[in-house]
Amino acid sequence: MSWELVFFAVFSAAMLLTGIGVVALENPVHSAISLVGCFINVAALFVMLGAEFLGVLQIIIYTGAVLVLVLFTIMLVDPNKLPAFYVGKPMQRNVSAIVGAILMVELGVAIVTRVALEQIGPHTNAMVDQMGGNVQAIGQVMLSEYALAFEVASLVLTVGVVGAVVVGLPNRLGALDTVTMSLGHSRGAEDAIAAGPKFESPMNIPAERYVAPVGERKVVMTKDPDKYTHPGETSK
Amino acid sequence: MDLTTNHFLFVSAALFVIGMMGVLTRRNILIVFMCVEMMVAAVGISLVAFSHETATINGQVFFLFALAVAAAESAVGLAIVVALSRQGRAPDVEEMQTLRN
Repeated sequence: MSWELVFFAVFSAAMLLTGIGVVALENPVHSAISLVGCFINVAALFVMLGAEFLGVLQIIIYTGAVLVLVLFTIMLVDPNKLPAFYVGKPMQRNVSAIVGAILMVELGVAIVTRVALEQIGPHTNAMVDQMGGNVQAIGQVMLSEYALAFEVASLVLTVGVVGAVVVGLPNRLGALDTVTMSLGHSRGAEDAIAAGPKFESPMNIPAERYVAPVGERKVVMTKDPDKYTHPGETSK
Repeated sequence: MDLTTNHFLFVSAALFVIGMMGVLTRRNILIVFMCVEMMVAAVGISLVAFSHETATINGQVFFLFALAVAAAESAVGLAIVVALSRQGRAPDVEEMQTLRN
């Protein structure tokens, strides 16, 4: 038994355990942290397969960027609205167990009965070392054979960023032009006085709300900002 | 017993099946999203293992592109979750029925 096999067993066992943790843990934050462990072990397996660059990228992009994004999103979601944890309906659970078992058996049979591939390519370990390393080899192939796909990937990323901004915008752009201030809190009145035109007596506003133009914006002064609905908004 | 490509393929298949069961059972859209990312990583292990076996580097380049697409997908997917929570709706896959019928 070689050391390689020992390391492989340790990494893959940790990867599968943390992967089960993602599915089985109740708290989404715990799931996300479990996913970090899973991806670090995936990166270790990449390094064992001689793909050091992909291992580093896996850690930087997934555990560094995507998982931080996921954690931020978990924090933005109202915890009271999270669905109850009962891991699906009983029917759903049974179907997923059956489908998972069938798929695992199929894949296992396919892997065991497959014919091993020959070393058809030029990128043996010795050749990659001669080229200067894994990064150089990937760069050479990606920027010659796959140059067009490389450019398209940058387009996909741009579209993704623009799409994320468009989807994340508020429903009405007008909402950005309206500021709501509470007069129940003294700071709201002070800020309004400092920012807006001179009011005669901001605390003695008779109406339920008072709308004053401040430059391009409308400052809405209300005693209860939770009950105030913007014009055009159905309910709050 | 030596370490062969089949070992990596088995581990990859197991991680894929775990991710698939998570997608099928969990209701929280964020967990479903994380399970999809896990399935992408599992396929990546297969790609890199085959790339190692055939001594070509194309599999690694493919996974690099898959990584770029997955990053764009995660940005859009999480923006959808933020838009949902801004509307005051729950991040629950069984509640999301706006497009039904």
